[in-house]
Amino acid sequence: MAFLTLTDISKYFGGVAAVERFNLDVEKGEFVSFLGPSGCGKTTTLRMIAGFELPSSGTILLDSEDVTYKAPNQRNVGMVFQSYALFPNLTVGQNIGFGLQVRKENEAVIKARVDEMLGLIHLEQHQNKYPYQLSGGQQQRVALARALAIQPRVLLLDEPLSALDAKIRVELRLEIRRIQQALGITTVYVTHDQEEALSLSDRVVVMSQGRMEQVGTPFEIYNYPRTQFVAQFVGQLNLLPITGLDLAAETCLLAGQTVQFEHHQSRQLSEAPRLAIRPEEFRLGALEGCNVLSGRVETVMFLGAVVRLRVEVGGLLFSADLFNERNITPPRVGEQIEISFPVHACWLT
Amino acid sequence: MAAAMSFLPNLRNLFFPPASSQAKDRGSKRGASWFWMAVGVLYFVLPLVATFDFSLRARKGVLSFLAYERVFKDPAFWKTFIFSLEMAFFTILVSLLLVVPTAYWIRLRLPKLRVIVEFISMLPFVIPAIVLVFGFIRVFSGAPFFLTNTSFGTNVLLVAGYTVLALPYMFRAVDTGLAAIDVRSLTEAAQSLGAGWGTILFKIIFPNLRVAILSGAFLTLATVIGEFTIASFLVGINAFGPYMSLIGQNKTYESSSLAIISFMLTWAFMGLLQFLNRGQASSSLAGAH
Repeated sequence: MAFLTLTDISKYFGGVAAVERFNLDVEKGEFVSFLGPSGCGKTTTLRMIAGFELPSSGTILLDSEDVTYKAPNQRNVGMVFQSYALFPNLTVGQNIGFGLQVRKENEAVIKARVDEMLGLIHLEQHQNKYPYQLSGGQQQRVALARALAIQPRVLLLDEPLSALDAKIRVELRLEIRRIQQALGITTVYVTHDQEEALSLSDRVVVMSQGRMEQVGTPFEIYNYPRTQFVAQFVGQLNLLPITGLDLAAETCLLAGQTVQFEHHQSRQLSEAPRLAIRPEEFRLGALEGCNVLSGRVETVMFLGAVVRLRVEVGGLLFSADLFNERNITPPRVGEQIEISFPVHACWLT
Repeated sequence: MAAAMSFLPNLRNLFFPPASSQAKDRGSKRGASWFWMAVGVLYFVLPLVATFDFSLRARKGVLSFLAYERVFKDPAFWKTFIFSLEMAFFTILVSLLLVVPTAYWIRLRLPKLRVIVEFISMLPFVIPAIVLVFGFIRVFSGAPFFLTNTSFGTNVLLVAGYTVLALPYMFRAVDTGLAAIDVRSLTEAAQSLGAGWGTILFKIIFPNLRVAILSGAFLTLATVIGEFTIASFLVGINAFGPYMSLIGQNKTYESSSLAIISFMLTWAFMGLLQFLNRGQASSSLAGAH
């Protein structure tokens, strides 16, 4: 039996569906991310788990207990907010101990837990400081410790890294994963950042317009997207118009050049199917056993580890990411090149 | 055409004055600022200086604090002042218990109602105090509320009237304080940690509104201490406002000294507010991400 179960959860705001028929089982100790663009319903779903919003229909079971209509302060769920939400009138130590004080734990227990949490987030020296004396990253770590101090059944994080700069974001991301794994706490994480979701999670739930598009491991989500939305939202994707489609032979014409692809019967095709290829699947030159296209280089962007080309093939433009190798000079703008991609790396949508 | 050409440099000077003229402009602007500031200071300070000077002339031919001595030795001064302080204390208490939860709830759950409540809070500026006190006397002099028959009853009415008068100051101050903190996130954070509404209000919201509450409280105090209309109809000479008015009618020098004393009191409260406010502004802002 799953530790956290959401069954047919829907939420309407004035007749507008924010979340529709959301079903999810989260195992104990699992790290699940809700990934999607703004307004897709990911935060609303998280807030329903926390109890800040009541579902219009459906049930939420937490550790076999129906908590659907339970008040937020009765759920024993830890929450970390994007805005940190530290209490400005309390010190770091008092913030971390707040939940335990509310539970009327004795002072010795509170002190021990606060010390333990401060050790966990490596902020032992800052116990007596006020939130405004800390950096954004430190404040968010305190918020994490505060949420964990009450030993919640589930930890909920609502875009906790969005307000931080890029470097701190990556550091804190690793820190969150380390702490989650060390404590084995069931975690639901909301983000619109695909890199965050893919790097942190055991499973990712991709959402769009209040609906679940796909649930799977980061590997599955990235490599086997089930819908066009998932394919486009997670990672970069070239979606190229085709002609001369022959499903039996698994071939089509791309800008007049024959291309072979792999077609799965389970995959539903749109009325005007297009060929999907990720930019990183391309290699320079004509490789044996691969599809080969001839085209003209329109732009070259040197991004360090990757060289991003925009290639024009018969009037079609697509992106190709090549790994930067010191001994290979990247093509120049205007150069005619041959570029290859494997048969298994492209699919029809 | 030639006229237009000769006009162009002037136009250019107007929009992009040469460096020397920019420096001159800055200098003259600074001079004008100082001039108007001096006018402002004189406008406020001169009457005060004149009143203070006059209050020192109770003894003929010498400057002395005789008027102040007389005021401080008058038992009615202390009696009325302490009474008004007590009324102010209860007014602040009632205002806080009324305004803070209301303003908090509006910010948290009913933001659309804020405009209406803001309008209601401004009504005391529009409706004269005399209308309010006549309404009180009319409603609370007969059955079922005989509040004007006892001094406790009139005191209750007085606090109620003062609470209405203080509403604009208290609501504004508290609402501004709430705007500076992320009320919703703080509330939800406290809820997720197991806190109920009482804990949230008294351990999180009230402490984070300290400066706002103090501002509202001092403004209320200043209003109540000098209030005349409601006090004179409900408790008469027992309150400080009517006492000051009576002194003003009968004792010239003492009334000036009372005016200075009330100014000093207001400044002392403002100073206290600034003192308590130190360091708090930055923490409030930091907490308001």
